[in-house]
Amino acid sequence: MKTILQLILVSVLCVNVNAQDQDSSYLAIVGGDIHTVTDGVIMKGVVLCKDSRILKVGKRVRIPEGAEIINAEGMQVYPGLIAIDASGIVSGRGVAVADSYDPYALNIDLALAGGITTVQTGGMVANLKHGTIDNVLVGPTEWVNLNYSSTSSAGRRRVRDEFSKVRDFMRLHRSWELTSSMGEDAGDEPEAKGVKPEYLSLLKGEATARLSANSLKDLLATCELLEEYPMQSVIFGGQEAWACAGRLGRVNARLVITPRNKKWASDDLNRPSGWTIENAKTLWEHGVKFAILPGENSISLMGLAGRDLMTLPMEAAFAIRGGLQQDAALRAITIDAAEMLGIEHRLGSIEVGKDANIIVCDGDLFHYRSFVQWAVVDGKMMYDKQQSSYFAHIRPRAEEVIDEIEEETIIDAPEVVDNP
Amino acid sequence: MIISSLLLTLTSSLAWQQADERELVGRVTAYRLDRIETLDGDALTNATVLVQDGIIQRIGKVVIIPGHATVHDLRGTGSVMTPPLVLSHANFLQSDRRDGGNNSRFIAADSLWLSEDWPTSLWRYGVGMVAVDPPGNGAPGRTSVLKVAASEKRPETLVDDLHLKLDMATNSSAKNLIRDGLKAAEAAIENEIQAEKDWKKSRKEWDAKKEEEKKAAEAAKANGEKAKKVKEGDEEQGPPETFEAPGIKDNEQAFVDWVRKERTVQVHMRSASDWLHWMQIMEDREENYEVVFSMGSTTNLHEVIESVVASGVRVDLPARMSFLPYTRNRVNIAAEFVAAGCEKLILSPASNSIAGLRDLRASVSRLIAEGLDQTIALRAITLEPALAVGQEEVMGTIAIGMPASFVIWSGDVFDPLTEVDSLVLDGEEKFNREQFESELLR
Repeated sequence: MKTILQLILVSVLCVNVNAQDQDSSYLAIVGGDIHTVTDGVIMKGVVLCKDSRILKVGKRVRIPEGAEIINAEGMQVYPGLIAIDASGIVSGRGVAVADSYDPYALNIDLALAGGITTVQTGGMVANLKHGTIDNVLVGPTEWVNLNYSSTSSAGRRRVRDEFSKVRDFMRLHRSWELTSSMGEDAGDEPEAKGVKPEYLSLLKGEATARLSANSLKDLLATCELLEEYPMQSVIFGGQEAWACAGRLGRVNARLVITPRNKKWASDDLNRPSGWTIENAKTLWEHGVKFAILPGENSISLMGLAGRDLMTLPMEAAFAIRGGLQQDAALRAITIDAAEMLGIEHRLGSIEVGKDANIIVCDGDLFHYRSFVQWAVVDGKMMYDKQQSSYFAHIRPRAEEVIDEIEEETIIDAPEVVDNP
Repeated sequence: MIISSLLLTLTSSLAWQQADERELVGRVTAYRLDRIETLDGDALTNATVLVQDGIIQRIGKVVIIPGHATVHDLRGTGSVMTPPLVLSHANFLQSDRRDGGNNSRFIAADSLWLSEDWPTSLWRYGVGMVAVDPPGNGAPGRTSVLKVAASEKRPETLVDDLHLKLDMATNSSAKNLIRDGLKAAEAAIENEIQAEKDWKKSRKEWDAKKEEEKKAAEAAKANGEKAKKVKEGDEEQGPPETFEAPGIKDNEQAFVDWVRKERTVQVHMRSASDWLHWMQIMEDREENYEVVFSMGSTTNLHEVIESVVASGVRVDLPARMSFLPYTRNRVNIAAEFVAAGCEKLILSPASNSIAGLRDLRASVSRLIAEGLDQTIALRAITLEPALAVGQEEVMGTIAIGMPASFVIWSGDVFDPLTEVDSLVLDGEEKFNREQFESELLR
């Protein structure tokens, strides 16, 4: 294993390019199995980051001189995990999130230790960084809260009435556009009077509806709404979603589920009810995208295997136990969560050009025994298990001296290069 | 050889004494002590301070005391003389707490809340001067500096209106208050510059117009025409002769002064993240400020020590040992600041109250025991706060020409058992422990 790492390093060190950008900082994660999420797993590969982006990913990557090197030999490399609705880690609303960001807060360190590098809070997506408040905001999430609970039929009717008004206005506006584009006199442009602008942006596809529904009854009602008024949606809850997964798939609904939230089946109901461990698996089989969230949207310090944000991978592991494929579980806490937040072009996978938010685990992410060894955010090391006081004492990482490896490889260099 | 040089020294000092004695008439007091912490160079042992009419005239190991002088010979008692302690932000002497918003129009000295015996309550702990900051958050007002002295009405203030106090916190409201204050001040300054430009322009135009009219009138006169008479009151009003600056709002004035670098800001912070957010606001700015850190016993301040020291700012720390966050590991923030190269360090009572003041020396002694340099510690509670409030000519050192303001301690200043034996301000003994205790007993 070590020779392979040496090979990589050698190929790197021997062909050291001097024409490097001196002002830029490079960080290389070398020797780990790279779970790119979108392009399979690269065994014993290299991820090279330049400044805040991923510059190269592959088996043979030249590492510039002076690059910070993380020796991930025998470890697993993943994109940083993304937690939706994690208001308990960073506070504030909108741009105020940046003003109330405490980069020395315990919760940020612990979330990084739990593998989370990005959170959504107060309508904003923020990166978790220790010791700096620069560029912590990734961007706003255009979500519109829709209160469409089946327990209040009057409220549901009101929502539908609003959407009906919006649709009427959109039809009117489209016909006006068509008429005037044909050079006919169409009169004045119709005004959006009495039309809720946030509902308009939903039907135009510019925003995402945030809904809550757990029971089958609520989920079906929500499906009805989405069938009548197609729009991007994220449904929180979805406890009984397995019972209507096909229908959820047809309306393109996306869910945020908590696999360990339990509810027993009701004997009073003449329909499927209650929770099942196979919920996530069933949704996946029906093409329904989902993100996973633990029972609490904060860090509760109730123990290592608690149900808070420190154990996000454990929540996903529970879905795997219920039959979900492991790569699908990984997607649910990375790229699929990113897509719901509209940041999939920047985060959620290890791809060239994306933001360098990467975690390195000493084992499988979904194994209860694994620890995050390093968390890199925006191309900078933000968490090192051995350097922070929380978990350094638990199975301490073997002392790895990068300098020594480099020296060895430099000495062996000509020999190894001659025998590729 | 040795004898001759000794003789030489003696004669020369005698000659010097004769020359001096002519000057030192009037009320002369001599203090002879085992140790004098001058804060102006090294400490002196077995030395004398000679005070004439409230001013220190002589200080040193060889000082000839005039025959008519009153002598306080405290040698052999272990007494130590230091400058009086100075408190750099004592808001416990204030009545009005102002929370939230820009209240920078208020001045601390205008709302003091002092009991009758307030000077004694400070003297007995060795305090000779206090800077008072208005309590509250946001921008609660401006600080004032008081000399600790009894007075029938308002106490003697050395400076009424000194620093602008800002309360920094990691949230939008605190940050916006400062950003908005700066923005408004810049707008006010810009407005004034523009008004002056406009005035100059209109003045120029007016003068040109008048010149033309004058010429026209002269030409008309030369042609034999009668000059038009202008009715009284119908005369055109030109721009004023001198420039009148547009007024600045009460709440903007202190910020305007700050932007113009005519005023220092005393910014209060609680955590390392407050510092980062403050630096974000001050990114490209060059205004003067000093930082007061007030924290609980657990602090993450060590995270930003380098950055704070690199900014060269004066730092005011609570005198207490801290714990690293979420641990019981002790950390001596003051000593770490000094190790990082901080040269302007103030230590303040850990709690802003008389009780905090009572414990000040004991808490500083803990910092010394755990690594803080003793000389720096003494400076941090005497001279440095005096410098911070610009009163180093009034208090802070024991040197020739300085007002005779000092404390005589019963022993090592930082021994918690040591007490103030005597406190002298401008040559006058304000506090005497024996007297104070006998009065208490009575």
